Amino acid sequence: MRSIRIAALTGALALVVAGCSSGGGDDDSGDEGAAPSGTGPIEIWLSNNEQELAWGQAVVDAWNAEHPDEQVTAQEIPAGASSEEAITAAITAGTAPCLVYNIATAAVSGWVRQGGLVDLAQFDGGAAYITDRGGDAAEAYQTDGGYYQLPWKSNPVMVMYNKALFEQAGLDPEDPGMATYDDFLAGARQIVDSGTSQSAIWPSPTNEFYQPWFDFYPLYLAETGGTQLVEDGAATFDDENGLAVAEFWATIYSEGLAPQEASTDDAMSTGTTAMQLAGPWAIASYSESVDVGFMPVPTSSGEEDVYTFADSKNVSMFTSCENQATAWEFLQFSTSEERDGQLLELTGQMPLRLDLAATYPDYFSANPAYEVFAGQAERAVDVPSVPNSVEAWQAFRDEYSSAVIFGSIGVDEFLANAATTIDGLVAE
Amino acid sequence: MRQTSSLLWLRYVLLTIAALMFAFPFYFMVVGAFQENPTNTPDQLVPQSGWTTQNFTNIDSRIDLAGSLVNSLVFTAGVLLGTVVFGLLAGYAMGRLDFRGRGVTWVLMLLVQMVPFQLLMIPLYVQITSSYGLGDTYLGMILPFAINTTAVFIFTQFFRALPREMFEAARIDGASELRILRSIAVPLVRPAIATVVLVTFIGPWNEFLWPFLITKDSSMQPLAVSLANYISNVAQSTSNANGAILAGATALAFPVVILFCLFQRYFTASDLGAAVKG
Amino acid sequence: MTSSSIALRTPRRNWWGAQPIGSLFALPYLVFVAVIFAYPLGFAVYIAFHDYFFTAPGVEVPKPFVGFDNFVTALTDPQVLESFRNTAVFLVINVPLTVVLGLVLATALDAGVRWASAYRIAFFVPYLTASVSLVGVWMLLFSSGGLVNAVLGPLAPDPSWLVNPALAMPTIALYVTWKQLGFYILLYLAALQNVPRELHESAETDGANGWQRFLNVTVPGVRATTTLVLILAIITGANLFTEPYLLTNGGGPDGASVTPVLLIYQRGIQQQNPDVAAAIGMILVIVVGLLSLIANRVNRET
Repeated sequence: MRSIRIAALTGALALVVAGCSSGGGDDDSGDEGAAPSGTGPIEIWLSNNEQELAWGQAVVDAWNAEHPDEQVTAQEIPAGASSEEAITAAITAGTAPCLVYNIATAAVSGWVRQGGLVDLAQFDGGAAYITDRGGDAAEAYQTDGGYYQLPWKSNPVMVMYNKALFEQAGLDPEDPGMATYDDFLAGARQIVDSGTSQSAIWPSPTNEFYQPWFDFYPLYLAETGGTQLVEDGAATFDDENGLAVAEFWATIYSEGLAPQEASTDDAMSTGTTAMQLAGPWAIASYSESVDVGFMPVPTSSGEEDVYTFADSKNVSMFTSCENQATAWEFLQFSTSEERDGQLLELTGQMPLRLDLAATYPDYFSANPAYEVFAGQAERAVDVPSVPNSVEAWQAFRDEYSSAVIFGSIGVDEFLANAATTIDGLVAE
Repeated sequence: MRQTSSLLWLRYVLLTIAALMFAFPFYFMVVGAFQENPTNTPDQLVPQSGWTTQNFTNIDSRIDLAGSLVNSLVFTAGVLLGTVVFGLLAGYAMGRLDFRGRGVTWVLMLLVQMVPFQLLMIPLYVQITSSYGLGDTYLGMILPFAINTTAVFIFTQFFRALPREMFEAARIDGASELRILRSIAVPLVRPAIATVVLVTFIGPWNEFLWPFLITKDSSMQPLAVSLANYISNVAQSTSNANGAILAGATALAFPVVILFCLFQRYFTASDLGAAVKG
Repeated sequence: MTSSSIALRTPRRNWWGAQPIGSLFALPYLVFVAVIFAYPLGFAVYIAFHDYFFTAPGVEVPKPFVGFDNFVTALTDPQVLESFRNTAVFLVINVPLTVVLGLVLATALDAGVRWASAYRIAFFVPYLTASVSLVGVWMLLFSSGGLVNAVLGPLAPDPSWLVNPALAMPTIALYVTWKQLGFYILLYLAALQNVPRELHESAETDGANGWQRFLNVTVPGVRATTTLVLILAIITGANLFTEPYLLTNGGGPDGASVTPVLLIYQRGIQQQNPDVAAAIGMILVIVVGLLSLIANRVNRET
């Protein structure tokens, strides 16, 4: 059974690889729709976010009480940049756990190419389970036509602001009126010129491939009504929308409204910045130190109901997993309506399922601060599932950094260069 | 002291300036770790208020400090043992003996130093976890560092610098190489062992990337890994991120500095010249 | 010291050398090198010449031989070239500073000063402490609103140290010099103990002053160690990773502190292109090897 699965996977993989290198494979003995095999103990990895850990432990305990022969062991993996390399290495060595509850979409294409992830759609009712839970939006998380990740939860990015500092700068803390670029820039200038805080907004100006997700990309999604960075195998951003967003950020940096240097501490809680791009996780983090408000990211025309970046974290199953039937059962158990509700309650993060506000009305009426995110979660878009995703984002970041943050090349040049590089990378 | 007094003064001024420059960031770190809100303005270099031990209490509640400390000690002790025993043997051979393959070994030693670990990391990871099945074990953690090449270098240089007459005499007396090693080389090499221990110690103690990859089980993680975890996790969800980072840094540095203070007399009293002449 | 090279030139009695037992002594180390180093390195060389990526066990995909393609990709990448330029900037600042400061401070410590142990502790503490910890402190000190700029006042550079393309690499070089110097002082201290006291005494009776004795007795007396320090400093500098990764957040500003090893990490592990990463690694090893050879040669001749 196991060898058949591997053969099926190899076949599927060969199709992927056929596009990347000269080789190909016709060993396609696929058995789609088969029931997963293997029951028994499994291991899962959770992110090290304290609230998420508490949620995960509760779910595992509940499962273990009912399934004495299929015990689940949860381990903590470090959040942040380095968890990806741990997973890459574990796939290569065949030591990955069954499930990881912290998968960023950008890394998935590489792991699929490695043959490390299980297509969940190959299980009985797998695709139906994912689309029933997440709706049509779930389709965006497909890689090469397969569900190698279950869209789990999102942290839609909005503009978080310090109400006290806004008031001090003479802006209305309840309705700042900064939906257009012009108004946003005017408000930002007001904050800095009045000496309220040393910077208006402080996105991390560093070089990591994922940083665009918290400056350029949310505004680009808003400006275009949800167009991803790459669509239909081509970069989309070398146009007037990309230009508008890039020039907006370039203005922010050139006028000194945002520092070119990373903050040495949490700029929001120390009050060195009045705004930050953040998801709902920030509400709990800042509840004690800062009175924060949230507004959608700005666009050039200031339209309502804008799109933004979803910053989702998903769940993947790994091919090295022996007991895939148990893993698949546990995956469904841990993403049920009830468990998603607990996740929402414990972490404030938005489960990627349909009609959040209608599904959990009690939660949102008790926590009005999160309601704005529930609405935004409906219009949240993730990074595209494309080959060489991490490399493409790194190329984008390098060019962005030169042009927008440090102004050493022109914005036009950045868009054209980055689009050419990315077209080449995703076509491979 | 036969120094001219001006030279002596120059010496002290030089050393003191350098020592201040070296110690200052460390002072900054320790003071900040005990502050409610560490700042970096010059007028608050000697804070009068805001002292707290909360940063350390936070660490202790989040990670198993004692357990990670034990893991760090096992990891470090394993590396030290391998390095002192096998490194000493290799260093003696390289520095004092003429054998076939010595030149090749020397080139290999240089090469080992030159190749960045990042290049070898994934093949090594696959080899150790998959081929040898040593994931989540102390042995898997220790293996890539088991013999510190810098230490072999230091032993080699040290043995080379010893006067050859001592060894020639013993050889003429018919002593075996093993006996020469035991009765002449090892007693003389003590100051070098102290150096090697110090140099080797900090490698595994501070190493982050490798134990991070090899240990998935958090009860196996050494202090550097769990503290880095703590720092990355806590920095995004605390109002005193700097305090947390500095406290983590201090907790990691503290045991080493204590050990060094205890150890450091071994670097002074080694009057090797007398030993050689005697 | 002067006898060191002569001592090794004992006439060979047989093919195995005069003391063949030496190979037995070195054997554990050689086995270690073969298993932990040579095998993965050989693998890396293989990767560098193939269109390679890491797959899960049991997954077979073609990984064709591509000759020097990966090397061409690496050498035509402007970022790779920049990373080598950055390394050159680093070495030009770090290596001379390390050798001069290391020897001078070790000499000052060696002649017996009061509070010697306090000085030693001060010098070694940065070396003993993990970079992960110290980088946080340096970021606080060298940030725009940090202590260094506050002290400098109007003289503070704009843009500030770590975000100034001209100053980022020199700042890293200073940091690494500061961090590593304790180790080199240690090496020199050990070497100084082997400089025969008689040489100093006879130089003094010849009327040499302190500076002349330093130049004519101390410096030649520790030449073997200087070679070691040079080579180790070059190697450490060329393998720079943690500092640009943490201190300038992945090689910023605008790529001014990107280093070859940082690129190996980005390309090989983050972006899963181990083939190009391995090619960069090969090029780096060759360059460092040549530099070390030159350092060895130059120091032997002067």
